[in-house]
Amino acid sequence: MKIEDLSKDTEQLVTIEPDDLIPLPYPYDDPVNEPLMKGLTDDQRMRYEASLDGVLAIGIPKPQNKDEEDAFVKRFLAGLERLLTSDNNWTFLQPLYHSLEYCVKCQICNDSCPAYIASGRKEIYRPTYRPEILRRIINKYIRKRSGILTKLTGSDIDLNWRLVARLGELAYRCTLCRKCAQICPLGVDNGLISHEIRKIFSQEMGIAPRELHELGTMQQLKAGSSTGITPKALHNIIEFMEEEIEEKAGRKIKIPVDKEGAEILLLHNAGEFISWPENTEAFAIIFDVAGIDWTLSSDLVGYDAVNYGVWYDDIQLARIAVRHAEIAKALKVKKINVGECGHAHKAMIVVADRVLTGELNIPRESALPLLEALVCNGKLKLDPQRNNFPVTLHDPCNMVRLMGIVEPQRKILRTLCPQFKEMEPHGVENYCCGGGSGFAIMQSMNFPDWRSAVSGRIKLKQILETFQEVISPDIKKYVCAPCSNCKGQIRELFNYYNVNEKCGIYYGGLVELIVNAMVDIKKRFIDWEWH
Amino acid sequence: MNTFLAILTYFAYCFIIGAYTVKIVKYLRLPTHLRWELYPVIHEEKYAYGGSYFEKKEWWNEEKQKRYVRGILYLLKEYFTLGDYLTRNVLYWLGLFPWHIGFILIITFHILCFFGALFMVLEFTISPGSPDLWGRILFYAILITGIVSFIAGTVGSIFIIINRIIDKSLRTYATPLNFLMYIFTLVVFISGLYSWYFIDPDMKEYREFWKGLITFHFVGVDVGTMVHIILFDLFLIYLPFTRSLHYITRLFAFFLIRWDDEPNRRGSKLEKRLIKNLNQKVGWQGPHIGAGRSWNELARYDR
Repeated sequence: MKIEDLSKDTEQLVTIEPDDLIPLPYPYDDPVNEPLMKGLTDDQRMRYEASLDGVLAIGIPKPQNKDEEDAFVKRFLAGLERLLTSDNNWTFLQPLYHSLEYCVKCQICNDSCPAYIASGRKEIYRPTYRPEILRRIINKYIRKRSGILTKLTGSDIDLNWRLVARLGELAYRCTLCRKCAQICPLGVDNGLISHEIRKIFSQEMGIAPRELHELGTMQQLKAGSSTGITPKALHNIIEFMEEEIEEKAGRKIKIPVDKEGAEILLLHNAGEFISWPENTEAFAIIFDVAGIDWTLSSDLVGYDAVNYGVWYDDIQLARIAVRHAEIAKALKVKKINVGECGHAHKAMIVVADRVLTGELNIPRESALPLLEALVCNGKLKLDPQRNNFPVTLHDPCNMVRLMGIVEPQRKILRTLCPQFKEMEPHGVENYCCGGGSGFAIMQSMNFPDWRSAVSGRIKLKQILETFQEVISPDIKKYVCAPCSNCKGQIRELFNYYNVNEKCGIYYGGLVELIVNAMVDIKKRFIDWEWH
Repeated sequence: MNTFLAILTYFAYCFIIGAYTVKIVKYLRLPTHLRWELYPVIHEEKYAYGGSYFEKKEWWNEEKQKRYVRGILYLLKEYFTLGDYLTRNVLYWLGLFPWHIGFILIITFHILCFFGALFMVLEFTISPGSPDLWGRILFYAILITGIVSFIAGTVGSIFIIINRIIDKSLRTYATPLNFLMYIFTLVVFISGLYSWYFIDPDMKEYREFWKGLITFHFVGVDVGTMVHIILFDLFLIYLPFTRSLHYITRLFAFFLIRWDDEPNRRGSKLEKRLIKNLNQKVGWQGPHIGAGRSWNELARYDR
């Protein structure tokens, strides 16, 4: 396949067959048992541009006539021009400029990309492929190189609506885990290019996956949370959590909400309240036992730490970050602590650090160092024997490779889990769960199948390899993933391959293991119920 | 011809310095961006495993001391070993390493020729039997850097061309200009090799040529040496049009992007730069944006 084929009028550029995928360890070592990825229906193919790889993450409607096609291309080019200006893209212009100008295409980054490797090295998923397409478009259509110079510089590409639509989809085949960037000796960041392409589509063309934009940032800003939880619903959920804590842990706790002047405003990914309330309950139990002065917020946006803008839209990123800071300021808290959500860590503590100025620059930190202090400094009475089952740790890219929070969670696990075993590679060299950059929440058409079979494949391989000696379903095992989106992805991945039933592997957060080890809690907190 | 050769050489050096300066200034004047670091960050005390100050409770209460020396040493080591390539693609490294050593040494060779000439102007003798220690040192330094650069560069150019052809992933992304560049460098190094081996085994002609450039008394050189000098001058003029500046921008990419973990503190210079950025008008036309207002205004979403 040639690079310029992306603009060719072909029915489908790439097809992923089960035999192409890299093999998995026992009990998935027979490719015959590989689940078949769902195909698109005829109706979906007719309505949406699906000729990249037969998978739809965004689902860009096909233009109805030549005028619509031209307008589509024109809007893309206008966005690309804006992307290269300092007023419109001061946020990432320098890293973008470096990556566009100084990649020598040595391909050393290729082997670090989980999607590229897992797919059997499909050309379109190669980390250098998208940047090369963008570079060619810039050279030919923005810098107006033509004739012999186009040929000599390898800038030959035909810009048409099909190329633009495919490029948009292709930006959502990269999880932005940035392992490729970590490898590059020249400091080139091919993951960033996917991020910047996504920005053209959202910020200029108004195109983004529904789960990230309409149901994500827009819903969060208007209704309070990307989950749809309203402030009123939150109060009901908190009441439910208090009842559950009493029932499961035998403790009567009043969860503080909107407490002015508290030391800590704790921000959870609101997905926890719905899918894994045991995580938010465990935080409440730990903070209560340790006597922490904390509060939740019930203000719009204040009870949902997520900031999907970090994946596709700088303006939306800034809006949510500012809102979080305004809420913390109004509550007069001393600091914000972010719960177990990787991208919220990265967005709120790191990326938005350069958006929040003056009084909005409220101190922000991860909850993990605080938890480490509570566990390792003897603030809690803990019995590691209560966690005496095989445990491994998944490193969320946003917290680890992109933030350098590596040891606190490990110190907790080494203290509390006698059978803790690292997966390989781990720490800052980890592999993405496959659900990064929004993939975990994107449910468009057949995209979830691609996410499980391709982008999550290496993670599944790692988990199975780590537990290979205890792979029997009779032995209960635990993948600790201190991140909501990673947990969501692992849940879907395990469902796709029926991992819980076949191998007895369960997943959950970090705080659940802490509470499970607390001697004052009579019942075991981890119930091994699959959900 | 002597004057032409001298003027071309002056021009080539002025051009490359000027063009590189313009490019570097352009790069450095790009606005302060959002944080986008990647760990391990070299100046962190927990660099060995990739840890950061975010592992500490209330990290903002600690003043961080950056260790720039460690970063510079890391990058220097990479400059001279290309160790990342050696670890991940030995075959590629086999071409890349001598090719880059060829570049580093050919530039060193010319710098040494300049100093050799300068010493000659100061009436030092540059020869193996020179009474001046510096004369002997410069003689051998010029000779060794020249010979090694010509040989390494020639071998590297050949290997790199072969690599880019036989490795499909490299070939797919290589442009015709890449191959022209490799052939050009091959010719530059081979011409140097030829000139040294057949014409100027002591590199005396280079020293005399450079002395002429310093004193403005331009001297003639053998045709073979002249060809190499012209090719090298053209190579210098061509370099700014390639990605060759990656040798310098790599430094910026690591210090200004990958290792840039500077927190935004209230009242800091960084905050002032950010406020300036946030006051710029946004032109993005997406329906949810609200173009025409500043980043600051847009971030305060109209609820």
